[in-house]
Amino acid sequence: MDSVTALVVSAAAIYALLAIAMGVIPGSVLSQTPPGPGVAPLDAAAARGRDLYVAEGCSYCHTQQVRPLAQDRVWGRASVAGDFTYSTPQLLGSERTGPDLSNIGTRQPSAVWQSIHLYEPRALVHASIMPAYPWLFVVKDHAAPGDVVVQVPPGYAPAGKVVVATAAEQDLVAYLASLQQHALPGPAR
Amino acid sequence: MASQPPAQDRKLVSAFVLTATFWLLLTTAVGLLLSFKFTYPDLATNPYLSFGRLRAIHTNGTFYGWASVALTGLALYVAARSSGVGLRYKQLAWAALWSYNLAALLGTITLDLGISNGSQEYREWVWWVAAFFVLGVVLTGVVLVATVMARSEREIYIANWYTIGACIFTTILGITAALPFYQRGLGQVAVQAFYMHNAVGMWFTFLALGVTYYALPKLLNRPIYSYSLGVLGFWTNLVFYPVIGAHHYEFSPLPWWFQTLAIVFSVGMLVPVWAGAGNFWLTMRGRWATVRRSYALPFFFVGIVYYFVGSTQGTIEAFRSLQAIWHLTNFTVGHSHLTMYGFITFIAWGGIYGLLPLATGKRPSVLLVGLHFWLAFLGVTIYVVVLSVAGTVQGITWANGDPFIASVEAAAPYWSGRAISGTMMLLAHIIFAYNVWKMTLAPVPSTTSSSPRSLTPERATS
Repeated sequence: MDSVTALVVSAAAIYALLAIAMGVIPGSVLSQTPPGPGVAPLDAAAARGRDLYVAEGCSYCHTQQVRPLAQDRVWGRASVAGDFTYSTPQLLGSERTGPDLSNIGTRQPSAVWQSIHLYEPRALVHASIMPAYPWLFVVKDHAAPGDVVVQVPPGYAPAGKVVVATAAEQDLVAYLASLQQHALPGPAR
Repeated sequence: MASQPPAQDRKLVSAFVLTATFWLLLTTAVGLLLSFKFTYPDLATNPYLSFGRLRAIHTNGTFYGWASVALTGLALYVAARSSGVGLRYKQLAWAALWSYNLAALLGTITLDLGISNGSQEYREWVWWVAAFFVLGVVLTGVVLVATVMARSEREIYIANWYTIGACIFTTILGITAALPFYQRGLGQVAVQAFYMHNAVGMWFTFLALGVTYYALPKLLNRPIYSYSLGVLGFWTNLVFYPVIGAHHYEFSPLPWWFQTLAIVFSVGMLVPVWAGAGNFWLTMRGRWATVRRSYALPFFFVGIVYYFVGSTQGTIEAFRSLQAIWHLTNFTVGHSHLTMYGFITFIAWGGIYGLLPLATGKRPSVLLVGLHFWLAFLGVTIYVVVLSVAGTVQGITWANGDPFIASVEAAAPYWSGRAISGTMMLLAHIIFAYNVWKMTLAPVPSTTSSSPRSLTPERATS
């Protein structure tokens, strides 16, 4: 080709059309997906917890998508489009270095367990390689009235001190508790 | 063609390569720390050094700080030299360099503070950080187009098709990815599928192929085997690549037919990949002695081999039967290093070793280039092999229905292997940085005598 203008215009036109066809139109259509049964926006605490989940990059290791495959049944029912209506930014994830969390609020409903696990995962799961998040807690000599004390097993927290959950940590636990799949109408999948 | 690039162009290319090298060192040191965290999860427990924040710094930094800056610097040099003129609008090229580096700096800081666009691969930078990057792409495109328009030859050399195309596509892609109106919930998943593969395939692949189309004939001192195969590769890449993104979301709630379409076009990708790799190999055919003696050509050779292997692997792994096992495992991480490192980074190194000495007149030591080559080549090869095995083991453990933690325990030895190969790669980068210093800032040695071994065709044809 001898004309730079012809090259630039034809390449730009073809790619712009493909960007609309493969990005903008699928995005527009799927953004209109109605919520599935029981799917609702998060309350304020869980929404703040979700922001923290995004900031700390949790979804680099934890997916939130259950595939229609036998090996994924352990995580819940297969995800459907209506599960994600209020999930922006989307957190489907691309790697499962840790367990899928689509239904973690049902599978592990204990806030105590979640807090100990966030403070030091290896206190509960010996072989875990999840990072610890001690900066979501405050270690004090004595608990003040109203403090949420986390009963970390001996040996995993400074002896003679108490571990207190911050407000941010409680928001994150509230978000994890909110991750629950809802039953779909029709035959069980 | 003009005999020597103007001094200003020399400075510009050097500045691109130097800043790119800084980002390579920083973000691969980060990558190495991350790899050790798999074996020692309580290592460096600190919010600013935590896995979830540093992972995005590693990926975005290597993509947009290292590979983009290195390859656009080379693309500017290629445009000027192949057009037989000096760069047009040099100030805009400098502005592009500042823009890229500002984006990489702000992106690294914001991600470390937990300010992120969501863990959506390769677009974690918030929009106002990404905007500086896209501005750099636009400015680069303007300089490339203006320079090629001023060319002395009638034809636009094929290398410039690819590099100009890369800037056009990535500008459109950047805007598509930034606008929020069609990105809620699953809609954003669809846009992410489109974005993540296009950021790789319409930017890095086009830039790397463009640089290769110039440097390979230049270093071998013979024309490219087939101009037509280059043109075929350009148009088929352009039409097939944008459709394949959804193969990253197989078995997701994205429409099933949308995923199937992506798989079909993934097979179509064999056309541009085999056309490109075959064209380069046929250009090298019969000149293996030259390749061995050169210090730039082995990097191109590895880059082309891993372009072929990595992209063909991408086609094969897109099949549903294999994704059922490999999806969401470390296999994907192995694949991304095979392509972004084995292909893109090796081409960038080949371009830098092949073209930078022509621009500056300064050469690195043959021994240290060889050491860089072997550490990086063995490092990435071991890296890809151990992670591919790790991913397969993870996938089989899941398919067996074992407890999840069994997949963590089964992958652990391979993660140690990854930390070792990663160490080799970082060592290679430190040597590379020293070689870059020798090619740019180092004072010219007082003696002009050089060993016979360094009389490579690069010098003969310069």
